Amino acid sequence: MYLYKTGIAQIDDISGGLEAGTNILILAPPMSYAEQLAYALTKPLQGEYSIVLSTNERASEVIDFFKLAGADKRFTGVIDAITKSSTPGLTDTTRLMFVSSPTDLTGIGIKFSNMIESIFEGDFSEGETGLFPPPIRFCVNSISTLLMYRRLEVLYQFLHVLTAKLKKTEGIGIYVLNNESFDDKTLSLIKQLMNCVIEVKVDANISSFRIQGIRGVTGEWLKFTVTKGQVVILP
Amino acid sequence: MISTGVAGLDELLGKGVPRGSRVLYSLEPGVDGQLFMITSLSCSLKKGLSCLVIHPNATVGAFRNDAVTRCGARLDLEKTGQVIFLDAIDRERIQKSAKTPEAQAREWQARIEKICSENRVDVIFAYLDLLNEDFGLSTALQILEAGKSGEKTTLFIEHLNLEGKKLIDRFIREFHFDLVMAVRSSDRPVPHFTYFTIVHSSWNASVSRSVPFIISENRIVPYIPKIVVTGPAQSGKSTFVATATEGNRPQDRTSQEREPVPEVMDYGWLRWRDFEISLHGTPGQGEFDPLIPPALKHAMGVVLIIDATKPDTFPRARQLIGMISKRKIPFIVAANKSDLAGSMAAGTIRKELDLNKVIPICPVAATRPDDVHKVLEALVDYITQYSP
Repeated sequence: MYLYKTGIAQIDDISGGLEAGTNILILAPPMSYAEQLAYALTKPLQGEYSIVLSTNERASEVIDFFKLAGADKRFTGVIDAITKSSTPGLTDTTRLMFVSSPTDLTGIGIKFSNMIESIFEGDFSEGETGLFPPPIRFCVNSISTLLMYRRLEVLYQFLHVLTAKLKKTEGIGIYVLNNESFDDKTLSLIKQLMNCVIEVKVDANISSFRIQGIRGVTGEWLKFTVTKGQVVILP
Repeated sequence: MISTGVAGLDELLGKGVPRGSRVLYSLEPGVDGQLFMITSLSCSLKKGLSCLVIHPNATVGAFRNDAVTRCGARLDLEKTGQVIFLDAIDRERIQKSAKTPEAQAREWQARIEKICSENRVDVIFAYLDLLNEDFGLSTALQILEAGKSGEKTTLFIEHLNLEGKKLIDRFIREFHFDLVMAVRSSDRPVPHFTYFTIVHSSWNASVSRSVPFIISENRIVPYIPKIVVTGPAQSGKSTFVATATEGNRPQDRTSQEREPVPEVMDYGWLRWRDFEISLHGTPGQGEFDPLIPPALKHAMGVVLIIDATKPDTFPRARQLIGMISKRKIPFIVAANKSDLAGSMAAGTIRKELDLNKVIPICPVAATRPDDVHKVLEALVDYITQYSP
């Protein structure tokens, strides 16, 4: 089974990386570097592909992050759910797709399938091919925004389908959720869809995370920052 | 009748949808079925019918752009007065002006009623999901019904079905929809093929069936699903095709690509579940291998027939598996002559052919219709059923 390296020694050294089919929830307060952490875990390594569903920032900003992180843009796709409402004339390309708003779960599902399909068919990367079957990292930034627009039960059902599809394609999913804006019921329902939770907190301007759900990885708090798309564990 | 804009679908329904009907396009998550609604809208506009589009998810601009991109030049949404929109901005305004859900529902209803009576709207195209979330299914449908003046106004609804069959049943039994059409895809890592199922039609009860389609040049093109039957020489392919076809309709040997099926290939046709399926049997000898790639084009799946009593033919079977796998087409193995003494067990065959454990192996006698049907059932299940 393919193992996805995370760049976090505490995971990679013990388990060799994340198993294909893993869905990770990043539970974090605002301004905690959670977004950067999610993107760092999503950045494609050699031969891998990444898809980001962005409900918080424009595709260009997501692409900038991956560019700075040194990722090959030919292996990175973005589904942008915010730009189209202000710029309706936008048209899709193979790696850059737009949905009318974060409410449009039908559109999100279709664009996700379309991107997966083009990766499997080898049309995604301008003739370049990665590994086969293609390892795919998928990031939703963020579930919090989706929850602002759609009911919890509906979103749960939608994410259930999405996470199951990702398992089937042997990809991994990384989902960001603001744990300060939602009640326990919401958090626990979303957690049910995940195999692993990374909790993030901020103390005195320093972010820390702890990992739950990966065999052999202890749940201790680790201080971290993200530099050039790489997670750096601080002493 | 109002045309759906999809030629094959209109034909199945009897020239389209009767005026005044309630039509549901029920989309499974991730399935590219939005073109059905847009095509129906395009067709109504072309016929000069007055249309109201209710899309609480998107702004008019975003919808126009998407629809024209999907549908091409044949969709003219600029015709003054012929198409009216209620969009995401209207939803925001209603939410701001009316504080309670009840007041908002009334406001929606009043606006739809006014637009429909002032513009003599013939067809309403509504995207249901957000109205359903805001008000619940019954109220959301009542709101949309507000625009139906008497028996004449036709209602087309698209929704994302996250609840499956139960929800579809509600539309039929509780809300008495005239046409319910589910748009689905085979559940494989990659959407292997997409198909629509006419689940219910109030004016033609016998029409229930599933039809695969492709999207080509901005159009929905339905086609007859094809199953390829292949295997080493003398493994029982012709017998399998003949047994499957027995008693079914005559064949005209024309494939979905509108080209005649080569004479050296076996050809059969049967109705299985809701699908009408054509069977294309390839010759087993290596010199005919160039015929296999064209036969695999648009194939829904492959039945690989092997002779379970002849392990010496397995290297050829492995060669054929390589050709099928390269094209990522789902296949199952029918181990023919399994009723004879000396036939190999499924476990041994799996090992010998180095088959992944998820690929079904069906022990059969190709001369028995029941066995052949079990193979087809296993293949259709393997392709279409959801098993995360």
